[in-house]
Amino acid sequence: MWTVPKPKYRRGSCDEGEIAVNIGGVRVELFGDVLNRYPESRLAVLLNCSTQDHEVISSLCDDFDPGRKEFYFDRDPDAFKCIIDVYYFDEIHIKPGICPICFIKEMEFWKIDQCVLDECCKSYLSEKEEELTEIANKVKVILEDLEVDRFITRTQRCRRFLWRLMEKPGSSLPARVIAIISFLSVLVSALVMCIGTIPELQVKNADDKLVEHPTLEGIDTACMLWFTAEYLLRLASSPNKLHFTLSFMNAIDFLAIMPFYVVLTLTSLGTASMMELANVQQAVQALRIMRIARIFKLARHSSGLQTLTYALKSSLKELGLLLMYMGVGIFVFSALAYTMEQSHPETLFSSIPQSFWWAIITMTTVGYGDIYPKTTLGRCNAAVSFLCGVIAIALPIHPIINNFVVVYNKQRVLETAAKHEVELMELKNGRGVRRKCSN
Amino acid sequence: MEKSLDLNKDASRSTSSLPPEPVDIIRSKSCYRRVRLNVGGLPHEVLWRTLDRLPRTRLGKLRDCNTHDSLMEVCDDYNLEENEYFFDRHPGAFTSILNFFRTGKLHMMEEMCALSFSQELDYWGIDEIYLESCCQARYHQKKEQMNEELKREADNMKDREGDEFDNTCCAEKRKKLWDLLEKPGSSVAAKILAIISILFIVLSTIALSLNTLPELQETDEFGQSSDNPQLAHVEAVCIAWFTMEYLLRFLSSPSKWKFFKGPLNVIDLLAILPYYVTIFLTESNKSVLQFQNVRRVVQIFRIMRILRILKLARHSTGLQSLGFTLKRSYNELGLLILFLAMGIMIFSSLVFFAEKDEEDTKFKSIPASFWWATITMTTVGYGDIYPKTLLGKIVGGLCCIAGVLVIALPIPIIVNNFSEFYKEQKRQEKALKRREALERAKRNGSIVSMNLKEAFARSAELMDVVVEKSERPHDNHLSPSHWKWTPKGAASETSSNRSFNAHEGSPDKGRDTSSQRINVQKLEEMYNQMAKTQSQPNLNAKDRGSRAGKQRDEIELGAIQDHRPTVLGTREGVGDMKSLSSIDSYISCATDFQENPRFNHSPAMDIGLQETNRFSYSPAIAFSQHGNVKIGQQITGEREPMLTPITKPSYSENARRFFFPGNSSKSIIPKGGCRSDRGSGPSPLSDSSVQSDNSLLSPEVSVYTTASSRTPPKSPESTTLAATVFTFHDSSISKYIDADTDDDEHLRDISEASPSERLLAGSSPKRSININYQKGTNHLETAQKMLGQNCLFPNEGIRRVVHENHVGPEMVRRPKVDRGRQHTLDKGL
Repeated sequence: MWTVPKPKYRRGSCDEGEIAVNIGGVRVELFGDVLNRYPESRLAVLLNCSTQDHEVISSLCDDFDPGRKEFYFDRDPDAFKCIIDVYYFDEIHIKPGICPICFIKEMEFWKIDQCVLDECCKSYLSEKEEELTEIANKVKVILEDLEVDRFITRTQRCRRFLWRLMEKPGSSLPARVIAIISFLSVLVSALVMCIGTIPELQVKNADDKLVEHPTLEGIDTACMLWFTAEYLLRLASSPNKLHFTLSFMNAIDFLAIMPFYVVLTLTSLGTASMMELANVQQAVQALRIMRIARIFKLARHSSGLQTLTYALKSSLKELGLLLMYMGVGIFVFSALAYTMEQSHPETLFSSIPQSFWWAIITMTTVGYGDIYPKTTLGRCNAAVSFLCGVIAIALPIHPIINNFVVVYNKQRVLETAAKHEVELMELKNGRGVRRKCSN
Repeated sequence: MEKSLDLNKDASRSTSSLPPEPVDIIRSKSCYRRVRLNVGGLPHEVLWRTLDRLPRTRLGKLRDCNTHDSLMEVCDDYNLEENEYFFDRHPGAFTSILNFFRTGKLHMMEEMCALSFSQELDYWGIDEIYLESCCQARYHQKKEQMNEELKREADNMKDREGDEFDNTCCAEKRKKLWDLLEKPGSSVAAKILAIISILFIVLSTIALSLNTLPELQETDEFGQSSDNPQLAHVEAVCIAWFTMEYLLRFLSSPSKWKFFKGPLNVIDLLAILPYYVTIFLTESNKSVLQFQNVRRVVQIFRIMRILRILKLARHSTGLQSLGFTLKRSYNELGLLILFLAMGIMIFSSLVFFAEKDEEDTKFKSIPASFWWATITMTTVGYGDIYPKTLLGKIVGGLCCIAGVLVIALPIPIIVNNFSEFYKEQKRQEKALKRREALERAKRNGSIVSMNLKEAFARSAELMDVVVEKSERPHDNHLSPSHWKWTPKGAASETSSNRSFNAHEGSPDKGRDTSSQRINVQKLEEMYNQMAKTQSQPNLNAKDRGSRAGKQRDEIELGAIQDHRPTVLGTREGVGDMKSLSSIDSYISCATDFQENPRFNHSPAMDIGLQETNRFSYSPAIAFSQHGNVKIGQQITGEREPMLTPITKPSYSENARRFFFPGNSSKSIIPKGGCRSDRGSGPSPLSDSSVQSDNSLLSPEVSVYTTASSRTPPKSPESTTLAATVFTFHDSSISKYIDADTDDDEHLRDISEASPSERLLAGSSPKRSININYQKGTNHLETAQKMLGQNCLFPNEGIRRVVHENHVGPEMVRRPKVDRGRQHTLDKGL
């Protein structure tokens, strides 16, 4: 490795087989045979082409001094000093301080493949690139919004208007009002659902059964109608129907609306065709639980919740790990507790599945106290299980938290970055319009 | 003055004494395809074509400039023969800026400070909006952070400075009282008061708690339990103390409304009020029979008494930062509450549907099961409600895990906020403490050497000594170019070494290669550093800054000339002796001249040489070598890079000035005298020169402050009198470094120094010099002898001696620079 001659940073004429290059003011002399290790690269091509052919030379470099046989390149000398390492060590390390994206551009100029970049720098690069693609995606969305209406037909224009009204709260004042109304209706319907279950507020119906208060029911119905209208409008205005129905948020919306109508049809069916009333009741009960889904509709209005879902999605593996740790712990400690508590005559651990509950409550340090060990051995076991539970929860939770924090911070950065990018694009299109005066 | 200014400017043209014709400039531009840009010493080469891509930036304008004046407006110096343009800017940032021209993509060096990068962008005329997205986020984040920090610092400064007590009566006393009550660090008494206050708070809260113990309560005539009389007394005493404290604070506060609004004072008020309200209510209603209602109200007010525990926040940084953190991260707190609320709602409804058919269930409704969900999600688990069915238990298990997750997620963000703020708070507290310590030290007139500063102080002292030896005499030496040349000559020598190999064989090199060599390298380093600092003033007031510099130099020249007739005075004589030390480097610079095509004023040089040769006896040279060696040593001993005080204009002017006295040294004497007679008369008394020193110091300082804070130099000071004590350059610079390396110091150093102190400070170095070299006065022989002795001594010994002599002056001189800095800072605020 060390037998390879190093580049010279000196003045004077170069020997045979050497090539003198001037990169942005830094003069380097390079050995031809070293450069030929990468015959594809710009320098090697330059070396191999004849010095007489001026057109080829000027296509390869920016300037040529025939007297000193010096090729001039109008590039960054710092990056070049790193890139030149490839001829000597077959790998490139990005000098700390140079932006990797910028460095890659330089490598492209020198026609050196990206794969020679060393692993340690690659990860850094890919990180940056990921960020850039995310920004690009955001920019695409913003640009789509900014797009001028080029729809000829009236229906298309209407659809577009509706879509913006429903989906982009930031686009106009009515859109914002609609978003706020939607948010409030979600809250109201969730509250109504909770309050409706309070026995004091319920009324007895004909069959002497407690049902929801009629006013509450009215509010609930109104909310449901609003949700339905919202959903239908969104669906109607969406450019891609299939995509719309399959997306997560809209699925939640659908789930929030659906039970209402199913219950409605079931009850009407139940009274009309003499279906078994008990069955209908049970089905209705099950569907009522699904009304909880409407709470998730809040996620549409809170970027924090979206971040949470995103973070959880990106850390599914860690969540699985958490559940696995917990599962193993629960099995082990419930079995242990069960066997240890067998000796006690009035044991609360009647079976192993019964003691699962105890294990969960102990390991998560909740400790209701409905089941607790009574023997000394069982108590020792409880202490150990508590400790293990703390550790089992704490270990996998850290990466999840990390993910969340990273996503949370990135979210904020991306927002500004995308906006900036759009501005930059605008600026480059109408070049020089907003350029700052130098003085 | 104007004429000489012009002349000086011309002198800075290294190629000719006259500004080149536009024709020459155009020709030079047209015959090269490329251009060399020298930015802060780092050469770059770029195609003109590339620069044309962005015609409205500074570099783009460079192409369009065809006259000397317009060129000088755009760049700091240029050389048509070399096709080189010099910019006195930070070279690090320029790389990325030049790459913007080349590739059209503006990236930012990772380690660059965002603020300085934005300044550079301003200078080069590039809008920050061009930053690529990959670097933009970082840039803006950093910039915002910095701006926030600066704002907070400015606020703090304003707070500190803003305490005005002048508008009303007994301002002095009120200020004292205010300090006593509000600033526990200001004096021992204040500290004791603070401790007493804390004790009272603790005592009153303990009494409050004990009061509710049934054993200590007494029953009154209505059969209701009431306060223990002893505890009531304690309570009364505490409240009396609190009230007094509050009232005194209120009375002594400079701004009543601001005081009333302050959150800490609101807490104080809330801690006192309930007691009085309770007394008022019970007293006024004793006869009336609606006692029950009153009692309820009184109970509420009694609960409010617990607010007094918050009074501790005044005495604890931790509590304050907790409050601030909660205020700042309300976003994340909202998120936490939202998560919890959603989790509670979901799980409580789930568990309700799972459990509602159970016999004797406690999950009667969804709101009723909210409690269960809360207790489970926070993993408290009282056990008063728990699920019994299998489905309910599954839901419960999920609820536990979800609770742990949901609570853990937003907390790191809040924690991060907290730790950041806490660190900042600590830092400020420390800075404040140090500042106060320094102020106290100044007030007492004693010199406190701070541990942290020890290293700096020492190096600065050493620098002082060396420079004093070699450069102090410049005030009054006949050939003023000497002193400027001492460090710079060497520096330029190195630079020429780089560019001109032929220079290697210069005579001085041959004489003492080893020591000189080290020197030269060090000095080059110094020069580089200097160039960096100097680059700043160009931002806003480029012209003004350089003009001030020129004026100063001019006046210096005058003042120096002025001293000439008094050469035989005691002190001045000494100065002469000592100035010999600079001869060596002077010669080196002279040789520089001959060989450097940029500075080919050979006739002047010769005369200058003659002049110096008058004093250049061999021992003197030996001494100078000795001094130089010491410079080298001292620099090696220093951790921080050092700055030499050569300003840019003076750099180029030196040639000119060199030329000046050399040609007509006699004729200049009166000129100089009339120009600066105010500053330093021919009096040999040390006192008068001390005064001149003092006044001379300020322009220096202001120049450096410009460098640091983009504000134009304080004109009155800088124009009235100039001429410099070279030592001050160095000490001020080392202080400058000092201040910049440590933020705390930076804050604290901006402290006041009364004019009298300044006087005192100015006098001390002089005096010490006198003491040092009294023996050597105006007699060459004596000087020779002494110098010889010095040469024989091991360096260590001499250094120590001098060091001891200078402990005082060095420390005292510090505030002066700070004074200058403060000026500009005030302006900035």
